[in-house]
Amino acid sequence: MNLVAVSLFIVFVLITLFITYWAAKQIKSRDTFYTAGGNITGLQNGLAISGDFMSAASFLGISGLVFATGFDGLIYSIGFLVGWPIVLLLIAEPLRNLGKYTFADVASFRLRQKPIRILSALGSLTTVILYLIAQMVGAGKLIEILFNLPYQFAIYIVGALMIFYVTFGGMIATTWVQIIKAILLLFGATLISFLVLMQFDFNLNLFFNAAIKNHNLSSSIMGPGGLIKDPVSAISLGLALMFGTAGLPHILMRFFTVKDSVQARKSVAYATGFIGYFYILTFIIGFGAIILINGNPSYLNSEGGLIGNNNMAAIHLSHAVGGDVLLGFISAVAFATILAVVSGLTLAGASAISHDIYSNVINPNGANEKREIMVSRIATFTLGIIAIILGIIFESQNIAFMVGLAFAIAASTNFPIIFLSMFWKNLTTHGAFIGGIIGLLTTIILVILSPVVWVDIFNYPAAIFPYKYPALFSMTTTFFFVMIISKLDKSEGGRDEKHKFSDQYRQSLTGVDIKANKKN
Amino acid sequence: MNDFALLISLKKKIVLPLLIIIIGSYFSFILCIAYYPELLTIQISDSTISFGIVFGFYLIILIFFITVLYVHLSNKYIEPLIKKIKS
Repeated sequence: MNLVAVSLFIVFVLITLFITYWAAKQIKSRDTFYTAGGNITGLQNGLAISGDFMSAASFLGISGLVFATGFDGLIYSIGFLVGWPIVLLLIAEPLRNLGKYTFADVASFRLRQKPIRILSALGSLTTVILYLIAQMVGAGKLIEILFNLPYQFAIYIVGALMIFYVTFGGMIATTWVQIIKAILLLFGATLISFLVLMQFDFNLNLFFNAAIKNHNLSSSIMGPGGLIKDPVSAISLGLALMFGTAGLPHILMRFFTVKDSVQARKSVAYATGFIGYFYILTFIIGFGAIILINGNPSYLNSEGGLIGNNNMAAIHLSHAVGGDVLLGFISAVAFATILAVVSGLTLAGASAISHDIYSNVINPNGANEKREIMVSRIATFTLGIIAIILGIIFESQNIAFMVGLAFAIAASTNFPIIFLSMFWKNLTTHGAFIGGIIGLLTTIILVILSPVVWVDIFNYPAAIFPYKYPALFSMTTTFFFVMIISKLDKSEGGRDEKHKFSDQYRQSLTGVDIKANKKN
Repeated sequence: MNDFALLISLKKKIVLPLLIIIIGSYFSFILCIAYYPELLTIQISDSTISFGIVFGFYLIILIFFITVLYVHLSNKYIEPLIKKIKS
């Protein structure tokens, strides 16, 4: 066990526990619990958003993918990044101007509360739980290797700390844990890249040349490999990545933590800058690992593969360029990253349960702020326990498809509902609800029938649905049914909802609260 | 034209071109990978750096540039108009 890693991690935990204590004292209302009272600045929120995106999975996963295949890692990075201008240009401001705590606030702005809240919560919870499983399993395996702790024990630590942060510290603690971790990770990744490039006098030509010489694919690592083969998969993956980000509940929730749409815009610009810079670093780290780790016997197991697996490339590289100290630092940061990301996810899931389901569906008349916060805390605790249990169940399952499925659902269910409710006058409750459910089911069924589940998990010889990525089909299905059913909806309620659009549109652009003005 | 109609038209003038640039550039990258992967492996002059890597890094910078440009344009043209509508 690496002493530096353990002591740095303990320092991180102590600091975050102190932050949680400090945050807990400030939590007096729903506003502070869900959104930190809207007092987060654009820069702080930008860091926190980038923290949500710079998960251990993307840091270790993408640098591992670059290590294995070179250029293909870049395809994923760019896909994850390109979602941000979409969020900024289409979603961020109307979201901030129309909603308070969850994206369901926006979707149900002029539609019937109950069905739309149920649909949105369903979309949020499925996305959050899939993401949580992927993070928990990754966390358990990583900590197992880094700290020599048993898998289950690692899952318990992550689960317990995450429950503690979110239950007591709400959005304030979650945000600050995320900000600290984002700074640490950016610093660590910068340091590794700097030390790697220094060995080549910062000459990129020499750097890539060394990588080509030391990889068995030689110069093909500089171009596309096997990640995308046919145009349908290419477009489908592209759509899921591009529009999935705009439907991730834990990301959307972050826009309610800032004061107004000016700060919301700023947060995206900062976040995009940090994430883009981070992906450039992971690319350098992946190539650095090709040069310094590949064929280096101290990092290989008896079969010639990396100790751990390809995802350990960045960790091994930190040791190669910075010794035990840097290895310890990066390991502690990776652990911190997992904690911060699962906390954000859990808070988003808990708010869907307490704000959307409890306060607006189950108990719309009896709910008050105090009770809603209590329900949210119980939901956090429950989600934490579920995450621990699922983390243990899925330990040795193939979970590679889960983040992809989460993105596909976000792009095919959450995004169309949010987008159409913001910009399409003719959307009605019937259309959104029935179309949304059809879209959600279509996505799940297509993934089950696709090679990633049907062949890789159920071991059937051939997949019924031939493509790995469903978004092209599932997204168009959702848009088609939502729009057709809304158009055909001649009910009085539907007509009323279409009528309310112009007021909503005005508020979404200007931020002038129409409902409050009418009350006055 | 009243202020709100002006706001909508201004917003469209800013958002649509940026949206088209982003979606267009990204899908030309993705479709290039699907249809002409060999194009991306071409090396730039005498170096080992391929066209694909240059294209990729260009996209990362473009994505960031678009967000900064949008924030700048919004602060300059959209916000004053919103303030005027609010008052």
